[in-house]
Amino acid sequence: MNPLWLSQTWAVMRLELKKSFFNRRSFWIYLLALAPVLIFAGHALDVSGRRGHRQQMGARNPGVTAEKMRQVHSGMTRDEVTKLLGPPAEKITTSRRRGVERQNWAYSDGSAELRVYFAGDEVRGTNYRDACNFGEDTIIFAAVFQFFFLRLMVFFGCVFVFINLFRGEMLDRSLHYYLLAPVRREIVVAGKFLAGLVATSVIFCTSIGLQFTILNMHFDPQVMEQYMARGSGWHHLLSYLGVTALACLGYGTVFLTAGLFLRNPLIPAVTIEIWESINGILPAMLRKFSVIYYLRSLTPVEIPIDRGVPPPLALLALNVEPVAPYIAVIGLLVVSAALLAIAARSARTLQINYGAE
Amino acid sequence: MSADLIAFDNVSKFYGEVLGVNRVTLHIPPGITSLVGPNGSGKTTLMNLMTGLLRPTRGSITVCGLTPSDPEKFFRLVGYCSQFDSFPKGFTGFEFVYSFLRLFGHSHAEASRIAWESIERVGLQEAAKRKVAGYSKGMRQRIRLAQAIAHDPRVLILDEPLNGLDPLVRAETIALFRDFAKEGRHLIISSHVLHEVDIISDQVILLSSGYVVAEGQIKAVREEIEEHPMQILIRCTRPQALASRLFEHDHIVEAKVHSDGGGLLIKTKSADQFYLLLNQVALGGFDIQTVAPVDDDVNSVYGYLIGQEEATR
Repeated sequence: MNPLWLSQTWAVMRLELKKSFFNRRSFWIYLLALAPVLIFAGHALDVSGRRGHRQQMGARNPGVTAEKMRQVHSGMTRDEVTKLLGPPAEKITTSRRRGVERQNWAYSDGSAELRVYFAGDEVRGTNYRDACNFGEDTIIFAAVFQFFFLRLMVFFGCVFVFINLFRGEMLDRSLHYYLLAPVRREIVVAGKFLAGLVATSVIFCTSIGLQFTILNMHFDPQVMEQYMARGSGWHHLLSYLGVTALACLGYGTVFLTAGLFLRNPLIPAVTIEIWESINGILPAMLRKFSVIYYLRSLTPVEIPIDRGVPPPLALLALNVEPVAPYIAVIGLLVVSAALLAIAARSARTLQINYGAE
Repeated sequence: MSADLIAFDNVSKFYGEVLGVNRVTLHIPPGITSLVGPNGSGKTTLMNLMTGLLRPTRGSITVCGLTPSDPEKFFRLVGYCSQFDSFPKGFTGFEFVYSFLRLFGHSHAEASRIAWESIERVGLQEAAKRKVAGYSKGMRQRIRLAQAIAHDPRVLILDEPLNGLDPLVRAETIALFRDFAKEGRHLIISSHVLHEVDIISDQVILLSSGYVVAEGQIKAVREEIEEHPMQILIRCTRPQALASRLFEHDHIVEAKVHSDGGGLLIKTKSADQFYLLLNQVALGGFDIQTVAPVDDDVNSVYGYLIGQEEATR
């Protein structure tokens, strides 16, 4: 490759990286990336707090076991419950209606928790909550990653960063400086794209790293060590990081190209979001013209679809025909390369007419 | 096509159905060339076409034998200070000039040195480390000029370059333009301030509603306007006698004694014949103090060609 092209690409990247990382508008990207970190931090704090509380309840009533707690059912009387589990660790009178007292009893074996709801003398309902377990959290992380992080955070982050690479400069009336420099327009496209890719990948991969660390922080260090060193921890983490970077690549090329053709960023953003959401029900041929199709095949943890999952969410999780990881990566690279070629071709004939923007 | 000319060959540009410029054929030699015309006459469109920011709907354009489709060569030759008063966000004056110099492939040290030299040429050293967002209009104009001249272009295109400059800086900037032109470079300047054009230009291109109405040296253009005889003011004693002497010749169409009685305003169809005649008249005993054309400036020429109303718009 021509060394001048390399130095020019780097010069374009320097200009764009500064804008992508430090622009006042970039605040929204950081907020998007930070949102799931905050959610998982809240979850970790909640679990840690509850664990301490359950251990205290378990200490008050050492005879309680998980098996006994599961035996409690509606229709039992207070005496029957007391006979089975002993006096409750916590007892709250919630209300008294039509002379019937309603009470909420709590038991714990130190890790799981049972809430028993009484109306008068009779059990009207129970709520058994198991201790926070590692497998469940792994699935929660996978679900948050697929349904929210990829589809919303990374998607809209890429909308913002990549559409602004050209469209934003047209609105700011500063794109002409690039077009008046002795640089091939393909180099301008490449430099801008790489800057956007580096910025979004760094921001969102950092977010994934933080989410992963914070979510798992409340587990026992030995469990964590086993998961990371001897289990599939590193594989999961690296897969999530890789899928995030590939998502930035895929969505980046889509929105960079859209920014060159369309004036209103909302139109491509909404259209592509809908297209990505219905990917699971599209014909096999059309399914391949999508970023999420390839990304879903690369995610390390399968999300089980329960019967109770509402149809819109089930549709998002549907991956009818997953492809082999190497095909997914190559497919995504091919789609991205094709889109970049279209963007470069469009940039070659780009005219500056700010008045029309 | 000569490698020393800026050539427009039957160029038209339409914005949808709106005319930008139409059927423009020009061959611009080195020196200072001014594009003159009111707002909307097509000056900026011509400049944007020259630099490839716009593509012609018809026709072709070459600048010293090159086209903007080969940007790597073209923009080492051409510098364009456009009228867009906008900058990449968050840059200081120095960073702005420096960053775009890096696109030429210069190293950090080289780009820094060239950027400082260029900033010095426009006299903006003290403000160079401040954010461009805090600059006055004149300072923004100068930093854009510094960016356009930093790579020492052979062709410099400047859209309304004197807008917003105070009189002192304006004089310095005009001197800078003259230095550039003396070195045999092209300077294409657009302006709607006609007296400024008179001072600066070697040649003018007059535009109206997207059409080139005249081009060349302003005096030559003036002489070709036959329907408006040239007006010349002669300061002399005995203006009535001089008038009757001049009226013996066919090319003198009007002679009016000046209101102060100390001169004569004549109209002639041929300036050349008039000046020959004047030599004979002077030898004939008339005391002629000064002779000065009064309507061979851009303003008058523009008024004659496209109407006074347009010229002052």
